[in-house]
Amino acid sequence: MAQKPHASIAPQAAWAKPAVAVGDFVVLAGETFAAMFRRPFAWRELLDQIWFVARVSIVPTVMLSMPYTVLIVFTLNVVLLEVGAGDLSGAGAALASVTQVGPVVTAIVVAGAGATAMCADLGARTIREEIDAMTVMGVNPIRALVVPRVVAATFVALMLYSVVAVVGLAGSYVFVVFVQHVTPGSFVAGMTLLTGLPQVIVSLVKALLFGLSAGLIACYKGLSVGGGPTAVGNAVNETVVFAFMALFLINILATAFGVKVAP
Amino acid sequence: MTAEAPTRNDLSAKLIGSTRKLGEQTAFYASALASTGEAVRRYPAEVLRLIAVMGMGTGALAVIGGTVVIIGFLTLSTGALIAVQGYNTLSNVGIEALTGFLSAFLNVRFIAPATAGVALAATIGAGATAQIGAMRINEEIDALEVMGIRTITYLASTRVVAGVLVVIPLYTVAVLMSFLATRFGTTIIYGQSRGVYDHYFFTFLQPSDLLWSFIAALTMAAGVMVIHTYYGFTATGGPAGVGEAVGRAVRTSVTATVFVLLTITLAVYGQSGNFHLSG
Repeated sequence: MAQKPHASIAPQAAWAKPAVAVGDFVVLAGETFAAMFRRPFAWRELLDQIWFVARVSIVPTVMLSMPYTVLIVFTLNVVLLEVGAGDLSGAGAALASVTQVGPVVTAIVVAGAGATAMCADLGARTIREEIDAMTVMGVNPIRALVVPRVVAATFVALMLYSVVAVVGLAGSYVFVVFVQHVTPGSFVAGMTLLTGLPQVIVSLVKALLFGLSAGLIACYKGLSVGGGPTAVGNAVNETVVFAFMALFLINILATAFGVKVAP
Repeated sequence: MTAEAPTRNDLSAKLIGSTRKLGEQTAFYASALASTGEAVRRYPAEVLRLIAVMGMGTGALAVIGGTVVIIGFLTLSTGALIAVQGYNTLSNVGIEALTGFLSAFLNVRFIAPATAGVALAATIGAGATAQIGAMRINEEIDALEVMGIRTITYLASTRVVAGVLVVIPLYTVAVLMSFLATRFGTTIIYGQSRGVYDHYFFTFLQPSDLLWSFIAALTMAAGVMVIHTYYGFTATGGPAGVGEAVGRAVRTSVTATVFVLLTITLAVYGQSGNFHLSG
C-alpha cells in the first residue's frame, strides 16, 4: 500500500512530491493486479462494494443520460430537419448514444459519483487509522479493501454503460417521435445504419477501462489521505479531477483506436 | 442501520426530513444569490482573493497547472473527440469536408458548455465544498457568526461572484481549446486541407451561438457555486463528513449543469433552430 516516505529520507525538491505520488500510484496498481488473482478473494466485500457503488451511481446515471442524449439528438436534428433528412435522426441518435454519450456519461458518473463516494469512504477509514489497525492484525488492505473496490467499480461501470445506452436511446425515441414528429418506423430503421455490434463492444471496453482507472485513483487517493478535516475533502476533490482527466484521455485514445478497428 | 423493515412512522419522518432539507436548500440558494451585491460592496478583497485561488487551484491541483489547465485539457479532449468520431463518421458517407461545420456547430452548442459544466463542478466547485466544509468542522463558521459576520454573504455569495467572474476567461480558454483540438485533429492528423476546414468552420460559426454558449456557462457556474457552497456549509460528521459532502455536491451539481444546459438549449433553439443552410 501507499506508504509515505519518512521525513528524513523524503526528497525535498518541489517536483519530487508529484513524482513520488505517481510512483506510489503505480505501486498500488501493480499490487492490486497481483492480488486480484490470488486467493482468498474478498467476495463479501465485493458484493457490498458493488451494491454501494451502484446505489450512489444509479440516480445520476438516469438523470444524466436522458438530458445528454436529448441535447445531442436535438442539436443534430436541427441540422437534419433543415436539410430534410429527419428520417435519419435514428442513425444520429444511435451513433451519439452508443458511441459517445454512453461512454462519456459513464465516465462522468463513475468519476463524479462512484469514485468520490469510494474515496470519501476509504479516506474516512484512513484518518480513523482503521487501515493501520488492519495491517497490524495481519490483514492485507490491498487484498481486503482495494481489490474488491476496483473490481466493483469495473463491474458497475460495465453495467452502467448498458443502462446509459438503453435509457439514452429510449429517451431520444420519445423525444424525437413525440416532440419532433419523426416517423417511429424510420427512427428505428435508422438506428442500425451506422452503429452495430463492433461499436457496442468498443464502448464496453471503454467502460471497463473507466471503471478500472477510476477505482484505482479513488483507492490511491483514499489510502494516502493525511490528517485534518481539509485532507479528506481535498482528497475527494483531487480524485474527481484526476479521474475526469484520466477518463477523458482514455476516451479519446479508445475512440481513435475504435474507429480503426470498427469503422 | 437496523435490520427491521421501515415502519410507517420512519417513512413519514423521512419524508418530512427531506422536504425540510429541500426548503432549507432553496432558502440558502435564494439568500446566497440575493446577497451577491452586498458581497461585492462589503468584501471586495475576499472576492479578489477567491478569484485568484479559483483560477490557480490549490494543493496538488496547482502543481499540474491549476483550474485553467484542467478545464482546457478536458475540452481539448472532447474537441478532439469531434475530430476523431465526426471525421470518421462523415467520411463513411463521403462528406468529411463538413468536419469544420461540426466543430463550429457541436462544439459551441453542446460539447464545450457540457464539458465546462462538468469541469467547473470538479474543480472550483469541489474545492469550495472542501474549504467551507473544513471551516464548518473546525467551527470557524460558528466563530464568524459570533463575530457578527453574515456567513452566507461572506462565504457563499463571494464565491458565487468569484465563480461567475472567473468563468469568463476559463470558458474562453475552454472554447478555444475545443476549436483548436478539432482543427488540429482534422487537418494535421487526418490530413484534411486547412482551407476546406476553415471555410466550413467560419461559414457556420455564428456569433449569437457563441454568446448563448457563454450565457449557459455563466449560469452553470452560478448554479455550481451555490450547490457546492451549500453542501460545504451543511457538512457534518467530522473530517470524514467533509469528504462525503464533496462527493454529494459533485453528484448534485453535475446533474444540475446538464439540466441548465438542456433548458437553455431548448429555450434558445427550440423554435427556430437558428441554423440556415442556404443563407
